[in-house]
Amino acid sequence: MTLKPKILQITQNHQCVDLTLSGDWVIRMESGLVQEKWSNFISPKSFLFEKCRFQIDSKSKWDSSLLVFLLKARKELSERNIGVDFSGLPEKIQNLLSFADARSTNRRNFGNDTLDYESNSLGLFLLSLQQFSTFWGKWLWSVTQLLMGRSYMRFTDFFVACRDCGASALPIVTLIAFLTGLTMAFVGSVQLEKFNATIYVADLVSLAMVREMGALMVAIVMAGRTGASFAAELGSMKLREEIDSLRTFGIPAMDFLVLPRTLALFFMTPLLTLYADVVGILGGLTVGTQVMDFSSLHYFEQTQSALTNMWEVYSGLIKSLAFGLIIGLIGCYKGMFTGNNSTSLGKSVTSSVVVSITLIVICDACFEIFFSFMGYR
Amino acid sequence: MSSDPDKNWILRADSLLLKYGRNMVLKDVSFELTQGDCLTIMGSSGCGKSTLLKSMVGLLRPSKGNIEFRNGLLWGKSDLPNQEAVANFGVLFQGSALWGSMNLLENISLPLETFSELKAAEIEEIAAYKLSLVGLAGCEHLYPSQLSGGMQKRAGLARALSMDPQILFLDEPSAGLDPINSRQLDELILELKQSLGISFVVVTHELESIFAISDDSIFLSPSEKTIIERGAPGVLKSSSNNPEVVRFLSRTAAEDQNTAG
Repeated sequence: MTLKPKILQITQNHQCVDLTLSGDWVIRMESGLVQEKWSNFISPKSFLFEKCRFQIDSKSKWDSSLLVFLLKARKELSERNIGVDFSGLPEKIQNLLSFADARSTNRRNFGNDTLDYESNSLGLFLLSLQQFSTFWGKWLWSVTQLLMGRSYMRFTDFFVACRDCGASALPIVTLIAFLTGLTMAFVGSVQLEKFNATIYVADLVSLAMVREMGALMVAIVMAGRTGASFAAELGSMKLREEIDSLRTFGIPAMDFLVLPRTLALFFMTPLLTLYADVVGILGGLTVGTQVMDFSSLHYFEQTQSALTNMWEVYSGLIKSLAFGLIIGLIGCYKGMFTGNNSTSLGKSVTSSVVVSITLIVICDACFEIFFSFMGYR
Repeated sequence: MSSDPDKNWILRADSLLLKYGRNMVLKDVSFELTQGDCLTIMGSSGCGKSTLLKSMVGLLRPSKGNIEFRNGLLWGKSDLPNQEAVANFGVLFQGSALWGSMNLLENISLPLETFSELKAAEIEEIAAYKLSLVGLAGCEHLYPSQLSGGMQKRAGLARALSMDPQILFLDEPSAGLDPINSRQLDELILELKQSLGISFVVVTHELESIFAISDDSIFLSPSEKTIIERGAPGVLKSSSNNPEVVRFLSRTAAEDQNTAG
């Protein structure tokens, strides 16, 4: 069945204006013409009439679009001190209009919930800084308790976490580290060829890998893989009140959830880094033997002479300890401080990755600056 | 509120003031729970029922006032609740809040493993017994996600019972349950109350279960932000002078919409 367009008819007789509505007043029909006519009618500064009477054609169909129009009309007319008479409308419409009149019963004072310093971004940043340092402090306290043998941490949880962030990460770490070593060998070989010193590719790859790239690549993989999963897991536990229920049993979430995860990552990241160093060197070796035609023995001897000082390897491992700590703490912190809706869970997971990677790069730079100033390089 | 020496109280709230940030939710909340009773916290949505419950189970520190158990105060100087007081009670959360990474047996054993000196085999026996109490015998190795809503509620109850508490706090136990399951849960509560002598504090607005299980109740009002009525719900329905309470208990809509605003 086709719908008829909305029509608004205005007839004026002395003090009273009759507004007759006809056609189909349904949401699907456009109302541009009617709205225009209405705003023309209502726009003059002064009016010669005191009252408006509304009527509707009995054959008209109607839904909320009519009610909305009538409510708007009444509001605008009463603002101009013109009387409104709805008595010509069917009872059903009048009832619905009075429903909309009833004021909301629950008028609590929402908003103003935030404190003043939460409204600007600097304040918000300082607040989260304070929150994070508190979290870190509590973590340190928790670790001390653990060392003194008074922790609620379960070692099974720790081993499970070790497997999840250690052994399970081997495939991806292998892939990334191998390709990093391989790429560096290609890049290096082009430059070194100019000096006819291609064998130094072995030095370049091995030193870059153990000092820098091994730790960095593992940290970035871990931030995306494990840090995000910590944030998501703890965040959804918080949403489902699981953390609250731990607390009502008197089991601190810091000991029970955060400690095994952060410690596992702290111990696993250096191990993975060591593994990544080796795989990266093998990546370089692949290029050295397959593309540049060195023998593997030659390449290995060159690598060995480049790494005569084990400090090169240790410095990378020291960095990776710090990286593991950063990723674990940030991931757990973001999870534990998730708000109570699913949007904020998504945000905390994202920001756990972003913040960890940023901090990792900053921390890496600090380490390098420190090492070179102290003459450790 | 002065305590009646004849009454055998097991939990006392003393002029609590509860706030979220700057938002005051409740003030001057004082009441006591008699041993073996079931106390219902009632009130329309947004009156602070759940907030009050949070402060009683150690999740929200009151800005003023304290919760007192027989063996001491819940809130000491630190932000964390007093461990000895916490051992008095178990909590069933609205969404059950079972730990999703563990099966039911592990869920119930965890508090026992943490706080008791028992051997693993004994703990397992106790956990299985608690599950059988709530009619879930044989479900030990299922994970929470494999259970229906009603079963999750019962498993949550079993976990709340794990440390043999004297008081159980239930947050909207019948929310999201069908009438049959909700009735069964009420019967379970009554049975636990009679056979184990556990006292209950229940937050609910399910009228049928209010009348079925509670001996005593307090009624919170969102406009007054405090307790406006207390007593047995059956008595309140017929004899309360407060129109808001009578309307709530007899399930009638407000005659004048503007009074609550």
